[in-house]
Amino acid sequence: MMGSTLFYAQRLTAVFLLGYSLWLLSFFILNQPLEYSIWVLFTDQMNFLILTSMIAIIITIHGFIGLWTIGTDYFTSRTLGFLSPAIAKYADVIRGLYSLLFTIWGILIIFFILLIIWS
Amino acid sequence: MSNNHNRTRPVYMNLMQIKLPISAISSITHRLAGIYIFFITLPLALFLLYFSTKSYNDFMLISNTFNKSLLFSTFVSFSFLIFAYHILTGIRHLLQDLHIGESLQASRVSSYIVFFVWLLLACIVFSKVYL
Repeated sequence: MMGSTLFYAQRLTAVFLLGYSLWLLSFFILNQPLEYSIWVLFTDQMNFLILTSMIAIIITIHGFIGLWTIGTDYFTSRTLGFLSPAIAKYADVIRGLYSLLFTIWGILIIFFILLIIWS
Repeated sequence: MSNNHNRTRPVYMNLMQIKLPISAISSITHRLAGIYIFFITLPLALFLLYFSTKSYNDFMLISNTFNKSLLFSTFVSFSFLIFAYHILTGIRHLLQDLHIGESLQASRVSSYIVFFVWLLLACIVFSKVYL
């Protein structure tokens, strides 16, 4: 994939997440103290269900690009070698396991978001 | 100067020896906050969403636990403040991507502004939770 695609995907998803967060924040500020009936009404409306389902995908894309960038920046033989040269040899393995961890985590996040809001 | 060529160059980067300017601290804490959000705040938010919408009793249980347990309320507030921090530093980065406040001076000033706004927000949130 093109680096610029990842760059723009990261920024675009960030803007969506910002908008969604502000929407939720405005709901919480306008409905203080929060009551169960209003909260359930809010989370059962179509707007919430569709937007949150989209956000489930968007947040995983955003998180995936961010965590992948951190991995290629810090989990390399040059940076891990500072901790111990023995670890440096396994930098690719460590980065692979780390990538596997956040990929599985991301899939679980999407699964649980959809399960919780739609059930 | 020419002796520099013969000197043994470091193979590994000692990240602790690099002195970070304030804008770099802003950037690296943005990344650390991102990791925290993905692995802690997000599952916590899902946990809260699940139980707060499950039934009235579960909603009240969450609400009472938040009011009574100092550990729980601190953990929840802290986790969402980390999220707020990621958003604030994120907005700063987005503005810089649009070439707003890119200069060295502006970058320093905006880093301090973001830290200050977040500290103010943290004070407001914790005073609401504890007082």
